[in-house]
Order: sequence, then structure tokens, then C-alpha cells
Amino acid sequence: MTAPEYSRRHLRFGWWSLLLFATLGLLLESLQGFKVRAYLDVSNETRRLMWTLAHAHGTLLALVHVIFGLTMRATPPTVMPHLHLISSSLIAASVLLPGGFFLGGIAFYSGDPGLGILLVPIGGVLLLFAVFWIARGSSARR
Amino acid sequence: MVAFAAGLGGLALVAPGPAALPEQRVAGRPVQVPSDGYASSSSCRACHPGQYASWHGSYHRTMTQVATPETVAASFDGVIVDNVPGSPMLLEQRGRRLSAVFDDPDDEVKGLAPESDSARPRRIDRQVVMTTGSHNQQIYWYATGNSRVLGQLPAIWLTADRRWIPRRAAVMHPPGQSPMSETGSWNGVCVACHTTNGQPQLDTPFGSQPILTQVADTRAAEFGISCEACHGPGEPHLHANRSPLRRYVLHLIGRGDSTVVQPMRLNPRLSSQVCGQCHSFWEFSNPQSERRANAHGLPYRPGDELAETRFIVQPTKNLGSPAMQAFLAADPGFIRDIFWSDGMVRATGREYNGMIDSPCYRNAATDARTMSCFSCHTMHKTSDDARMIGEWADDQLAPRAVGNQACLQCHARTIQDVTAHTKHRADSAGSSCYNCHMPYTTYGLLKTIRSHQISSPSVRATVDTGRPDACNLCHLDKTLAWTADYLEKWYATAKPRLGDEEQSVAASLLWLLSGDAGQRAIVAQSLGWAPAQQASGTGWIAPYLALFLDDPYDAVRYIASRSLKTLPGFQAFAFDYVAPQTTRAAQRIQAMQIWRATRDGRIPGRAQLLINADGSFNAEVINRLSRERNNRRVVYRE
Repeated sequence: MTAPEYSRRHLRFGWWSLLLFATLGLLLESLQGFKVRAYLDVSNETRRLMWTLAHAHGTLLALVHVIFGLTMRATPPTVMPHLHLISSSLIAASVLLPGGFFLGGIAFYSGDPGLGILLVPIGGVLLLFAVFWIARGSSARR
Repeated sequence: MVAFAAGLGGLALVAPGPAALPEQRVAGRPVQVPSDGYASSSSCRACHPGQYASWHGSYHRTMTQVATPETVAASFDGVIVDNVPGSPMLLEQRGRRLSAVFDDPDDEVKGLAPESDSARPRRIDRQVVMTTGSHNQQIYWYATGNSRVLGQLPAIWLTADRRWIPRRAAVMHPPGQSPMSETGSWNGVCVACHTTNGQPQLDTPFGSQPILTQVADTRAAEFGISCEACHGPGEPHLHANRSPLRRYVLHLIGRGDSTVVQPMRLNPRLSSQVCGQCHSFWEFSNPQSERRANAHGLPYRPGDELAETRFIVQPTKNLGSPAMQAFLAADPGFIRDIFWSDGMVRATGREYNGMIDSPCYRNAATDARTMSCFSCHTMHKTSDDARMIGEWADDQLAPRAVGNQACLQCHARTIQDVTAHTKHRADSAGSSCYNCHMPYTTYGLLKTIRSHQISSPSVRATVDTGRPDACNLCHLDKTLAWTADYLEKWYATAKPRLGDEEQSVAASLLWLLSGDAGQRAIVAQSLGWAPAQQASGTGWIAPYLALFLDDPYDAVRYIASRSLKTLPGFQAFAFDYVAPQTTRAAQRIQAMQIWRATRDGRIPGRAQLLINADGSFNAEVINRLSRERNNRRVVYRE
């Protein structure tokens, strides 16, 4: 896959992802607005936190994809090694991080999120890996 | 420059106010310092938000609070309280400090009380530092200036009526006795149950020397009845569960955590003892255990066998024990002030004593069929409970225990044909399990509550003990003979031998006119109880309640006036039960005028209600029964 193709892939993923997580935000606001107890009750505080984190991480990562897509257009392909790994890691992180938070809020144990939360550290490591290589590529001489 | 000013403004917004003194350094009142493995409820909040929130909304939390403008229910904004012995009390808020100026209640104790009327007791100005209660009443404690010893303001706040009343008028207390001083009571008595792991730390046993020379370093792990009162010290639990691995293993295998006590996982006997550590009548087994508790707090921890570390007073079981005999020798009212003569509890706050004498607890064959406190109550509002938290907090009943479902957990067959068992319409108050098996025969805090000893209506028990029976607390216009007839007819209960008046005069009137203050309070409350009014009619009630607007006991007058206000035409009736006798007499006349104006024609003659055929009252019998009144001194250990 060529650099322009990666760029298009991340722009596409970013914008669709933004749509998805912006919709989730709207849904959460609706739950708040209609005072849905399954979301707002103090005993569901963990769910509220997890889903809020899912919305926030999903939205921000969607913007990261858009920025990454634009960055690749501005960067010669030679300075961004491991492009395939970076791209795959970033996409996996964007699924695992918000997905883990969301699953962790569906069924939970009082103050502890559900087992879905185990996806979050995996996503976090993949994100760090991708960001490291993007940062390194951006710092390299052209 | 603008940015600098904005920065300063921002700093001002986040800068804290005057630094609060660390709790350990607070003087003049008891302090809350977690120790001995206690960690405080704030540590529980992060992991157990729902449980924390329902506890936070409960009256257990607010049982003891540091007095602040936010925690006091009454206004301290230059308020003058007349309803106190001696000169009026002045309440003031100076900044965040709450103060009271009043006659020193300990003047008499110190022998400073003046002999002549012209001399005045010493006025004192004290900071109000602590509160007790918030549900029914709120009591205020001031710093005496002697170490951490607290004194009690001479008036307390009656929450329902939003008014101040003299301390004496808040409890069932004989009239005409000397003014009450409660100085030191918080340190020596209240601390045991109104805090978590309270330690009096009095220099000598409470009551062994004048309180004014006693020194106290009273402290508690936390004020109020907090998480650790029921779950035990939380430090080991906190420490162990810092590991997420441990937490998730426990979540997944569903086993209880051994580092903390879950009362719901204990057997019914032990789980009820968790509540019984406070909701019981108990004494220290010996002076050594009292001194140990003084220094380190009570040794009982949830899950322990309660009776191993204290003497549970249970006249049906241990009346003849040497310990009980010693208590009775020291105080002849030791049992009488708490129990009916057959050993059933008659004072509130001792529900555990009643519960463990219930057949549902005593005779249960297996744990699964043993009644416990948790059969009906829940310490945390559950997610399927649609009630507002304030409504739940009123009695902390579980949703399943609101109504007959409480008993149907074991007695399911009864519900298949309720009427066959109750002989009352299925949707009537007579088919409520509670009304027949847990009648309102327990008194405390200016009201009656349901007996927590499950029992069946028995005229024999009523005759033997004087305790009003469930049938006649609803059928207020019926005689004991009427009840005995029906109990024999419906349940084959043997009829006891009854006196002439028990056969001819409504039982409620016998208790009201001739009973002791406790019986009068119970019947006065029933006269205002909607199901009883529905069953017995209301046209005849007002004159009888009006009689008790002049009862010698403050508590009886209060309950009579409250019941009176439930009658047609009396909703706006104003009666001050602590007003001078002359004022009360005038208000009583006014009550009779309202009754005459609102009654619907002549009331029909009913001999058992002592109403003659012409509608007049049978004054001769009423006066005679009143003269025969049981005037024994009634004190409840509320």
C-alpha cells in the first residue's frame, strides 16, 4: 500500500470514526437529558465514567487519524518507516481503547469496570507504539 | 497587566479559605480519628459508589455530626427559645461558629442553684459543637470547656413540627422532677452506638464521680454509624484490594472477600447481631469490660458472637441470672422501663431483643427459614427500589418487605386465601400481616412503632401484661370480651376470665382512662391512626383525646394533640403541649367547641364507649376510671 493510500485510509477511518463517537456522545447526552437511571443512578457511576471515557477516547482518536492522514500527505514517504505497522496499530488502538471502555461499562462490579476493560491497556500500548514511530518519522530529516 | 490581574483572580478562585484545624488538634469536643484498623467511609466511596450513596442518604450517617451551619436543622440566627427551664435561650451564629446563651443546667449539680425565686441561675455562653439525630429530633451538644466533655442544650429541635421543645418534653418522663442535666452523657453513653468504634476515654467510670470533675479524651473512628460499624474495620480490605488481580478474581469466582465482613453473607443469627450491637438493650458483663471499652471501644466486631462480649438483657431467658439480679438490685426499673411484664420490649431502639424472641427466629429449623433483620430491612437501597432515597431511609425497608410480601417469604400458603386466615377483606387493613402480628405497642421519640417481636393477638396476654392487643388497637370501640369471642370463634383461642368492665367498656377507653402513661400514649396514637378510625368511626374520639390534652405527661399530651389534628375539623387546631397549664386548659375548651361545632347531629348512644342514649357522656364511669388511673412513674429508656 502506498503512502497516499494510507493517507486516504486514515482520513476515511478518522471521519467515520468521528461520526460514530460523536453519535455516541449524542446518545450519552440523551441518556442524561432523559434522566435514564441505568446511566445516571449513583450506583451506575462506573458505567457513566466508562462510557464517557469511550466517547472521549473514540472522538480524540478519530481526530488523530484525520491528522495522521494529513500528516502523511505533508511528509515524504521515505521518512515514515514501518508505515504498515503504524497504521495497523493506530487502527487497533482506536478500536480497543474506546471499545474496552464501552464494554467495561456494560456489565461492571460496583467500582470496578467489567472485563472488557482488559482491552484498554492493549490499545494503550499499541497507541504509544504508533505515536512513537509517527513522532520519530516526523522528526527525521527529509 | 490584564493577564496578571486575571491570573490573580484565578488564584483567588482556587485558593482555600482559612485552613481547617486537623481533627486531632480540635479541642473542646470529641474527635474522629481512624485507628485500630478503621479507615473511614471516605475510603469506601471510590469502589462502592452506590452503597456509599445510599448510606450517605440514611439517618445512620447523620446520627452524630459536627455542628455547622449546614448540619444543624434549626436556625441559630439570633433565635430566642422560650421553651426551656429558667430564662430563654439565645442562639447565635457568629461566622461559622454556633453559640448558645442559656441557664447552666449543671448549677443544681454543683449546688449553685439559688434557693429563692429572686436569684437567677448562672448564664453561660457556649459553642455548640455536635448534633445527635436528624430524623425525628435533633439534639445539640455544647463544649463545656472541661476537656472533651459535652453538655446538652436544654431544648431540642422537633423535626416534624419544626419547633424547639424542652428536653424533658421529648421523652416519656414523669412530671415534676428536677431539671435534667445530660452533661457527660454523650461521652459516657451515646458514643457507644452513635459513632463508629467510639472510645469514651473517661478518666474514671462514667457516673463514679461528679461529671464536672471528670476528664474525657473521647474519640471515635468516625461520627455516625458508618460503613465500618457493620462491615468491620476496613484497613485490611483496602490494603488487600489495591491489587486489581485480586479484585477481579473475587468478582469472577463470586466468593466473599475474607478481608471484610458482609453481613448479608453471615447466617441469620450473626447477621442480626450486627444490628443488635446497637438496636438492643445490653449491659457490660462486668466492670473490667466497661473499662476496656472505655479505653479501646467496644470489642464486638461484625461476625462475632455478640453475647460473648456483653450481656444481652432478655427477661424471657436470663431473668434469674446473677447478672440480671445484680442489675435489678441496682435499679428496680431496669426491666420495667424497657419491657412489658411478659418480657416483650416496649421501648424503641431495642428491636433486636424483640426479634430474637419471635417464633420466626426462635423456632426456625434452618438458616434459610430463620427470620433476621435483613428479612425486612436493607442497609443499602437496591437498584430495583423505585422509592426516593428519603422515603426508603424512613425505615430502610426492602421493597419485598413493604406489605404482606415480607411474611410471604415463608408463609406463602397463607396468601393463597388471605381472607380464610385473616377473616377480613383481603384489601383491608385487617388483612395486613403487620397490623395483627406487629402492632404498635412499642414507644419512643414521641410516637409508637411496631413491635418487632412477632406475636399473635391474645386477650390473655393483654389481661396479664396490660399491653394493648392488635385487635383492640384497630377496633377501638370494642371490648376485650368482643375480641376474646372472635379469637375463640376464628382461631379456637381459649377465652380468659374477664372483669365486668373488660366485658362492658371498650378496651381502648380502659387503657386511656385507667392505664399508665405508656398505655395512654399507645392508645392516643391509635386514635389518630387512619385504619383504626375507619374501623371504629371518628365521631366519638375528639372528647376523649381532648381529655388527654391535660395529661401530666408531656409525651401523652403531644400524641393526643397530634391524633386530634387527624379528625375532621381539627386540622388547623393549634395546641402547644408545653405551654403553661392555664393555656392548655383554654385550648382544651376550644377543642371541645370545635367538636361540638363539627359533629354531625347527636352522637348515638353506645354503652361500651360510655355514651348514654341521649348522646351525653357517662361522666360517672369516666370519672371513676380516671380516678383508678395507674399513676406509676413511667420512664422509658428511649
